[in-house]
Amino acid sequence: MAPLQKRALYSFIVGLVLTIALAAVLVARGSVTALENDLSLRLILYAVLIGVPLIYLILMNLTLRKPTQFDERDRLIIERSSRAQWLAVIFTLVAWTITLTEIYRKQGQVPTIFLNLIFMSTLIIGTLAQSLGILVGYWEMNRNE
Amino acid sequence: MSRIENRIRRLRFDHNEMTQEELADRAGCTRQTVIALEQNRYVPSIELAFRVAKAFGVPLEEVFQYEDSQG
Repeated sequence: MAPLQKRALYSFIVGLVLTIALAAVLVARGSVTALENDLSLRLILYAVLIGVPLIYLILMNLTLRKPTQFDERDRLIIERSSRAQWLAVIFTLVAWTITLTEIYRKQGQVPTIFLNLIFMSTLIIGTLAQSLGILVGYWEMNRNE
Repeated sequence: MSRIENRIRRLRFDHNEMTQEELADRAGCTRQTVIALEQNRYVPSIELAFRVAKAFGVPLEEVFQYEDSQG
């Protein structure tokens, strides 16, 4: 397994765990808006929001720096996976926009906690989509070419 | 339809049974790419093709051959 492929697999697993953890927290609290009154939970959320991109950046930099671990073939797969990531991010934002507009249309305002949730979900889905794109890219390259 | 064939596996054995890892180090790519090249699952860039040829110390056309099925 190529180093980038391994990183993609780890990122995919971490992304899935984060998604499940976030969903579990929301279910346990009963409502999304309950987060607004819980400072400790918001702090954890902020830590995750800052921590996930930082860890991702560090891991990717460590991989991309070594020429024996990353070459033109991996670069090609990353470029292809970015298209999947872009589509996933756009569809996530579309889903949030339609859902929130329909739910809060009459109130004329959306609870601020949704800003965090929109960012969090976009980040997770973007990471998951890219990881999946990379894994599929390797699979396709091994299968077709 | 066209296809680029290569003699990397043959050349490795002719060069003192050079390992895939050694070739990858010399050509500046990953071992997985060497494996993909040997199995004709990946067509390299011109730059990588030249680096592979240089690693063996032979001209490019001794490593890669362009086969055009249209003749």
